[in-house]
Amino acid sequence: MKGADVLLGALRAKGVDTVFGYPGGAIMPVYDALLGSGIRHVLVRHEQAAAFAADGYARVSGRPGVCIATSGPGATNLITGIANAYLDSVPMIAITGQVATPLMGTDAFQEVDIFGITLPIVKHSYIARHIEDLPRIVDEAWQIATSGRPGPVLIDLPKNIAAGEAQAARTVEPHPQAPRSLDMTALGHAAALIATAQRPILYAGGGIGIGGALKTFRQFVLATGIPVVSTLKGLGAVPTDHPLFLGMMGMHGTRASNMAVQESDLLIAVGARFDDRATGKLDGFAPHARVIHLDIDPAEIGKLRYADVAIAGELCASLEALQMTTTISAWRRHCLALKAQHVWRYDAPGEGIYVPELLRRLSVKADGELTLTCDVGQHQMWVAQHCLIRSPERHLTSGGLGAMGYGLPAAIGAHYADPTRTAVAVSGDGSIMINIQELATLKRYGLPVKILLIDNQALGMVRQWQELFFERRFSEVDLSDNPDFVQVARSFGIDALGIDSRDQVDEAIDALLNHPGALLVHCRIDPAANVWPLVPPGHTNATMLEGAML
Amino acid sequence: MKRMIELRLARAEGAIVRTLGLIERRGFTVTAITTRSDAGSETLVLRLEVASEGRPFDVLLRQVLRLIDVRAALLVESSRSDARAAC
Repeated sequence: MKGADVLLGALRAKGVDTVFGYPGGAIMPVYDALLGSGIRHVLVRHEQAAAFAADGYARVSGRPGVCIATSGPGATNLITGIANAYLDSVPMIAITGQVATPLMGTDAFQEVDIFGITLPIVKHSYIARHIEDLPRIVDEAWQIATSGRPGPVLIDLPKNIAAGEAQAARTVEPHPQAPRSLDMTALGHAAALIATAQRPILYAGGGIGIGGALKTFRQFVLATGIPVVSTLKGLGAVPTDHPLFLGMMGMHGTRASNMAVQESDLLIAVGARFDDRATGKLDGFAPHARVIHLDIDPAEIGKLRYADVAIAGELCASLEALQMTTTISAWRRHCLALKAQHVWRYDAPGEGIYVPELLRRLSVKADGELTLTCDVGQHQMWVAQHCLIRSPERHLTSGGLGAMGYGLPAAIGAHYADPTRTAVAVSGDGSIMINIQELATLKRYGLPVKILLIDNQALGMVRQWQELFFERRFSEVDLSDNPDFVQVARSFGIDALGIDSRDQVDEAIDALLNHPGALLVHCRIDPAANVWPLVPPGHTNATMLEGAML
Repeated sequence: MKRMIELRLARAEGAIVRTLGLIERRGFTVTAITTRSDAGSETLVLRLEVASEGRPFDVLLRQVLRLIDVRAALLVESSRSDARAAC
């Protein structure tokens, strides 16, 4: 048995049955061992896509995604995906080949210090220097990736360790987790604040889904009747059609959510981190509110906004302890009136495709049962604003890193995690080109992933900012020389159709929901379309710009 | 503002670089450092003088404590320069 066999055996022992990767020199012993290992390897066409696919797999399955690359450029190509997982707290095991230990530090062929390069973007990392350490390393890596606030763990595997003969593999003892005791004093203070608040708001973050606290959070909402706003990653903490849900907050949040937060006297932040996209200008954020901050990660509490009550630990136990009834009916009515007053409008003039309406109809027709993955840009915000999202694992988006190119490979990972649910990657004409080579992965494995490509012939979000904040000085945002995306898809063997008018939308939605295999729908829209509302940079969330519906 | 921080690290590959890197990336400056390791111990003790322009040290300690190799982190005392400033 070789080191690579030990590695794969340790992964199998953790229940790993699917990995995403791309072979190369230093990782060849692992690829040799993969044959007949019982682990399915999904060959992507760029290592970045392997990391994004592992990320998508993890977000849907709730288990770490595993990606594999060789040393040097293979390893460095993983970096964006690892950073994405780090910033969005996604459990991931990234395995990189490395030159043999005697060559390490000699600038050998395809040698980079991936351990050093990734230090700031991993939860932890290892260089496996001894074969007999591999079971322990995999076991620890798994534990670290999944415990507390999840994140990526890197295992750098020198070639001679992977290829070397192993002695009898050591077994690893399970490590029981001591339950963390609740801070009853803090909970008492929090309960007193909730009981006396006149205008409380629940500020739902991505930690609710990641922490498995969805059910408890929803029970808490039901019991307290407190209106809910969410971050981008918190979407689905309650279904977005829940009566008490006011919408996403922040830069592209709803008017109702931003106004309610600004008026609130108590902000109950649950698994959220006061990210600048959510808060706007921090010193004007929720200026009248006291803060109760619940998070699994103590380091997030007080990092950006002082917490009047800090509750670090598992969200479920804390939320259960805080359940109560409230007497805030007047405030609730006020919030619901805000929501009704600022409800989305879909009556855009003209015959062109109005993307918010297309997305809303797509998700509603699927009854929120799709796995929606996004790239980054205007379409990402339209998805967040307008799609019916029933739970966080059905909305995969690059929230913290904002990585264009995430959507398609994440949809691939999502499909492997749950083949019963249709994965739809919503992309833009800028983003799709970052990882368009993954169409080959769809073809190779016959994956029925759908792609809705919103094409405005521009880097739309950058163009929007240049229009609004750079005096319409458009710099390097024109993509009018895009390829014919329908032909591109077909050249990969993927079915495709193009639409550019409103009367074709129903046909496109039907195709996205019912086409038996992979499908790309190329949707041409008005290049001048913008995302509204928009909180300008440097302003508080009370300042929301509006513009034309295009 | 400067503070003295004492960290106890596991003797693991990358532990020192990882920890110092985190401190700097989070907006703090390491202005002095001493290390010691107790004989036979698997723990390395770092005493750091760390400067900050307004970022809270308690948050930094919690961030450092997230690192797997950090076994303990504590604020030791105000540095002399800070004490002078207080006078």
